[in-house]
Amino acid sequence: MTLKYGFISADDHVQEHPQVWTKRMSKAQWGDRIPHIERQSDGSECWVVDGKKIDLSGVAIAGAAMADRAREPQRWADVPSVVSSPRERLLAMDADGVDYSVLYPSVAGRAGETFGRLTDPALELACVQAYNDWLIEEWASVSPRFIPQCIVPLAPVDAMVKEIERAVAKGHRGVVLPSVPMMLRDVPHINEPVYDPVWQTCQSLNVPVCFHAGASRDIQFPAYSGFSPEIASALEAITRPVSTVLVVANFLFAQILDRFPKLKVVFAETTLAWAAYELELADHQFERQRLNTEGYDLTPSQLFKRQCHFVGWFDTTGLKTRQHIGLDSILWSTNFPQSTSTWPESRRAIARSFEGIPDNERHQVLAGNAAKLYNVAVH
Amino acid sequence: MQIKHGLISCDSHAQLDKDAWTKRMSKAKFGDAIPQIRDTTSREHMIHASDKPVQRWFVNGKVVGERGTVNCPTAMGDPMRKTYPQRWEEVPVFVYDPAERLKALDRDGIDAEVLFPNDPVQSAAFLQGDAEFELACVQAYNDGLAEYTQVSDRYIPLALIPYMSDIDAAVKETERAVKNGHRGITMVAEPSMVRKQFKHFNDPWWDPLWACCQSLNVPVHWHAGAGIALRVPRWKGYTANQGQAMGPAGGFSVQAQFIPNLIFSGVLDRYPKLNWVCAETGIGWVNYMLETCDHEWERRHLWTQGILTRPSELFQRQIYVDFWYERAGIELRHKIGMKNIMWESDFPHSTSTYPESRAFIDRTLQGVPKAERDQLAYGNAMRLYNLA
Repeated sequence: MTLKYGFISADDHVQEHPQVWTKRMSKAQWGDRIPHIERQSDGSECWVVDGKKIDLSGVAIAGAAMADRAREPQRWADVPSVVSSPRERLLAMDADGVDYSVLYPSVAGRAGETFGRLTDPALELACVQAYNDWLIEEWASVSPRFIPQCIVPLAPVDAMVKEIERAVAKGHRGVVLPSVPMMLRDVPHINEPVYDPVWQTCQSLNVPVCFHAGASRDIQFPAYSGFSPEIASALEAITRPVSTVLVVANFLFAQILDRFPKLKVVFAETTLAWAAYELELADHQFERQRLNTEGYDLTPSQLFKRQCHFVGWFDTTGLKTRQHIGLDSILWSTNFPQSTSTWPESRRAIARSFEGIPDNERHQVLAGNAAKLYNVAVH
Repeated sequence: MQIKHGLISCDSHAQLDKDAWTKRMSKAKFGDAIPQIRDTTSREHMIHASDKPVQRWFVNGKVVGERGTVNCPTAMGDPMRKTYPQRWEEVPVFVYDPAERLKALDRDGIDAEVLFPNDPVQSAAFLQGDAEFELACVQAYNDGLAEYTQVSDRYIPLALIPYMSDIDAAVKETERAVKNGHRGITMVAEPSMVRKQFKHFNDPWWDPLWACCQSLNVPVHWHAGAGIALRVPRWKGYTANQGQAMGPAGGFSVQAQFIPNLIFSGVLDRYPKLNWVCAETGIGWVNYMLETCDHEWERRHLWTQGILTRPSELFQRQIYVDFWYERAGIELRHKIGMKNIMWESDFPHSTSTYPESRAFIDRTLQGVPKAERDQLAYGNAMRLYNLA
């Protein structure tokens, strides 16, 4: 397919509608534990999973499409259709100059973490499968311009592997995995070799593992209770991308990339602004501790450039450091429909960010790298 | 103070002598809780097992720091910087004696240094026992450090504040310390994350302290993570070296999260002449913070929420950051703010540029015009600390 706009947005979010799970999970088996929307006493609505309200500041993540970008919709009726309807979404993509959109969840967690907090593995798996089925049935089937990515159950590991295989067979193109499963519930540390079958499976199926920012609030500086919702959500949007530094620092030393040299990894919603510094710092630490004598063949920045990606969206200065990050390792996004999104002015934002950057490099970051990663045939 | 070398370290660590607390605190009142050096043979008090007794600092009977008696690996003559003194007599005199330390400053080509604490003064070391004990520990530290200024005006000491007393005590101690020669205070970045019962940084409860520092014209300092623990659980499979490489590689994430809170807290608007120094930050990531804060401020129209000034302007008006080895970060100096960047040696910690600070600064600032070099190397510090 020829790209009309020359832009594959590598990090956007679908919006799960109220019947995603109720329609697909057995009421007889799960009853009210099924993810659903409930009306609260003040008239607002919220998502409830297994008897608990989930960590979402409204009933959807839709800030970019709301009249007031700081206010998430508090009732399903207020959710803009560009957010929840795949057909409307295609029009929104056209309006913003986006050819393809790589999809991450919202209710299931920006980083796919919501069901990882459940302690009943059978319920977790049922919720995960319903999401993965829905995304294929109601989004991917509508247009090849949607690039679906599956979510996974955190435990046991063989359930995670089986679900990845099942989902990829159905058409999923990436695997959204919360980067710190051990902070969500009592499961092994992400570095443990017990997860090796997961890395092996993704490597052999040739699908990237995607760690989206925001997998755990415990690595984010909490917003002050006295802040207005607008300031609180701005601060959250600032702490979330840079909390991934802690995840990246661990991952570059974890030796997973060394063991699985063809595994591809995306750190989504990072920005590019701290990327060069992080790689420089990780190499500096690597050299100071003489880790070349401890079984690493490559330095952290070499590993990163071989296998990993960061995703930018509004960055200008970060792009100036693109050679330090590695031109092959940079993806771009609109981040729709989060409040931080450049939508519906992504063309203007891109023009500002890429000013002075040669056309071939611009094409590589905006489309080429993502096309390669997700096997999108483009001319 | 005279500028001879053209270099001021804005983050160094002063070690107080071993009797700094025992000679200043009442034995009758505090007994063995007083911070002191003691012998120990407990394996739990050592990173590396030793047959002989080692010496450690004890505060309120609890050991502080398992690596060694004092954190000063850069002063130990070990090029790998893995040696920590295990007994007080192994600590080089120039680490804790202000007169001897001047010679080390001259060896390293440094005119003056801003003094943060060293052992056993860590973020929560004195948050023990009761408020009276904490205040006495803090006062003894502040008095001991103030004595550095009687030796030379090349020392720029920073005072501790008490947290367990009411806000008046923190204000009074700040006033007392500044009168005795201190040039700023250093504190944890968000008290309620260190102890739940303390007031949140953003709470107006702290306003009298900010008002006091503003009127005394002394900056507030946060050092590195400033007591805030946000971390991914450490994997048990890491060797000691791998753990030591990995930890700091993610460290700036914490500062990049709590400084935006300062920017949005309203404190900068309420106290527009109060300066904030974030030490041992590095500068390569600062641009992230400025760009995201500005981006969110624009996207969400935060001027309607009381943040009247653009975040990057607030930063450039009142916040300072330090560099010591980066070159790429220096390329961004105009973007970050020429007047907001200062240099540090971090003496005597392991990352320190001592005793090659001159070579480091030459390499780091290669190609930077002389006037800009002087501004970063000492000019900004002279202005911030009113060093004539």
